[in-house]
Amino acid sequence: VFGGVARKERRAGERHTCREANPPWEPERGGMSTSGDGQTRLKWTRQLLTRTPSIRNACDLDLMIFLHRHPRTLLTTEQLAGFVGYNLKEIARSLDSFIEAGLLERTAQQSLHAARLFVLLLEQPQAGGMLTLLEQASTREGRKTILEALKTRDSPRPELRVIESIPRATG
Amino acid sequence: MPARDFLKTGISGLDEILAGGIPRGNIILLEGAIGCGKTTLGVEFIYRGISQFNEPGLIVLFEVSPDKIVRDALGFGWDLRELERTNRLRIVFTSREVLRQELQQADSVLLEEAARIGARRIFIDGAAQLATSNGTSETRSAFHVFTEGLHRENLTAALAIEASLYRSGDNGSMPEESIADTVIRLRMEESQRAISRSIEIVKSRGHDYQMGRHTFRMIDGRGLHIYRRVQAPRPASRDRAAAYDPATRISTGVPGLDDLTNGGYFVGSTTVVAGISGVGKSVMGCQFIAEGVRRGERSMMLSLDEQVEQILRNAASVGIDLRAGMERDLVRLEYEPPQEIEVDVHFDHIERLVEEFRPKRVVIDSLSTYGSTLGTHGRVFRDFFHALVALMKEHQIAAIYNHENPEMLGMASMMGDFQMSSLVDNIILMNWSELGDAFRLGLTIAKMRANPVDRITHEVEVINGEGMRVLPRALRVPVDQHPFSSYAGLVARSPERRMLTESPAQRSRAVRSRDKPRQ
Repeated sequence: VFGGVARKERRAGERHTCREANPPWEPERGGMSTSGDGQTRLKWTRQLLTRTPSIRNACDLDLMIFLHRHPRTLLTTEQLAGFVGYNLKEIARSLDSFIEAGLLERTAQQSLHAARLFVLLLEQPQAGGMLTLLEQASTREGRKTILEALKTRDSPRPELRVIESIPRATG
Repeated sequence: MPARDFLKTGISGLDEILAGGIPRGNIILLEGAIGCGKTTLGVEFIYRGISQFNEPGLIVLFEVSPDKIVRDALGFGWDLRELERTNRLRIVFTSREVLRQELQQADSVLLEEAARIGARRIFIDGAAQLATSNGTSETRSAFHVFTEGLHRENLTAALAIEASLYRSGDNGSMPEESIADTVIRLRMEESQRAISRSIEIVKSRGHDYQMGRHTFRMIDGRGLHIYRRVQAPRPASRDRAAAYDPATRISTGVPGLDDLTNGGYFVGSTTVVAGISGVGKSVMGCQFIAEGVRRGERSMMLSLDEQVEQILRNAASVGIDLRAGMERDLVRLEYEPPQEIEVDVHFDHIERLVEEFRPKRVVIDSLSTYGSTLGTHGRVFRDFFHALVALMKEHQIAAIYNHENPEMLGMASMMGDFQMSSLVDNIILMNWSELGDAFRLGLTIAKMRANPVDRITHEVEVINGEGMRVLPRALRVPVDQHPFSSYAGLVARSPERRMLTESPAQRSRAVRSRDKPRQ
């Protein structure tokens, strides 16, 4: 529910102002289309990924997409992992990487409750090409290209869990 | 005694039916089936609080993602993203389990977030099952604990709860209702094949409010608008504020008619002109408006039957240039299609027109179309007409209501089903009379409150390019007045003169002889 279907409904350029230039084959709007040369797209995406070093694998990408759609989230890390569809270890690694890059803030762990508030900080200058990347990931084709670019960038690919049912928001 | 602190919702029309707002700190339950508008109401409650009353707010979501809420709000013209940027709004996505725990923690992250922006309002979407779902006493106490957390923070909270049982006509109760201070129920009302939205204040602690189901709409670019139930009694203050003038009259605009009405209609009076189609009711209405223009008085015609261009054309055919009056801002013509009129919305529209344009003369064309749209059975039509009459009287408007009488030559159904004659000050009947091989038009003033009325039928003519006038009653010799006993068929309204050639004594003998049993 919170994956691909909803991603398509996100509107272009609505949220932040520091988005980078559109891909060369789509000067009018951001995002990827089926038109354009596949190799050009892949090359351009690789270049874009060099400016978004915190996106290293599919888990990073999908977690970032989730956080972009839910920029202020109060959940336990387990619940977050359930929503995004990766295992806890991968999610924790991605979260740490975003926090380190200054893209995410997380409240300190309280003793009595495990939920933490995650706040996405994409308006910061360090957000770099992240918004352009998210724009590209808003279509199926664009996401596929990003994943392909990640695969050929020699990043270790995280183990994708087979999710039969995503836990509901009731926690 | 300290003044009570009321919170205005800022939602168009809602504060009016809440008699000014909701006591601050109340827990507000927004309940209704899917698609009733609970989320929109809740988001607008927060948006208006920030934009109109400088009260920052918090939106808590469980199922809908924040970017969808932001996108949908933009359709109503509410830029939530901008409010977030300026630290006046926080939209937090969480789970029910986390929220339940949060509101019981002294060091709640959520409430700390609310405090950071100085939040005064909170909206929690999908609050059902926050406190289990069995409808048991356990539910009640869990919900109570939950609301206590909100009270502690002095937040005025709106909680949206999906309740599928609240479809049209259904009633029921949920444990949350007894704990909440204010319960607002939203419904989708089915009528024939149409659907309309309604809102009802089921309860609201600490103040008065207008009961019953009021209509509401969601308007693109604006948000919610609640239309007060037309049947709801008007505040007494409005009636008291109206300055009644019992003596001033205004001209009818029809040559000869002022003489019959002793100088015209009283201001604030209600006149029904009844007659079959084509008898000249609309012409009379146009002349009434044209007379207003001549005197520099604002006039308005509201038609359910003809569009503005048609009215202008018809008026021009009898020599009346209403367009010139419109250009001088003395005339306003309004057309509303009669299909599926929502009576609360329609009345609100008329009320706003009257308050903005401030006419002295109004023509409504026609009551029969209202009758066929709203139905003459039941109270809707009568209550609507009552509200209309009260509105016109409050603004001291002389109003004419055209009413198409389906009977060609009779008057039995003149008021018939409408049951409104007690509200009407004046009744003018327009009727055809068949004389020789021609129909000629007659006008009778059947009722005129506070005036002597002779109830004589006068001939009227409508001339192309000139309009309507009442012809003088050119009788050279006085007409003999005969007693009722000279006529038969009075009750049947078709009296005929008896040819009386016998004395009363002869007549009674004739009757006795007729009744005598035969041998």
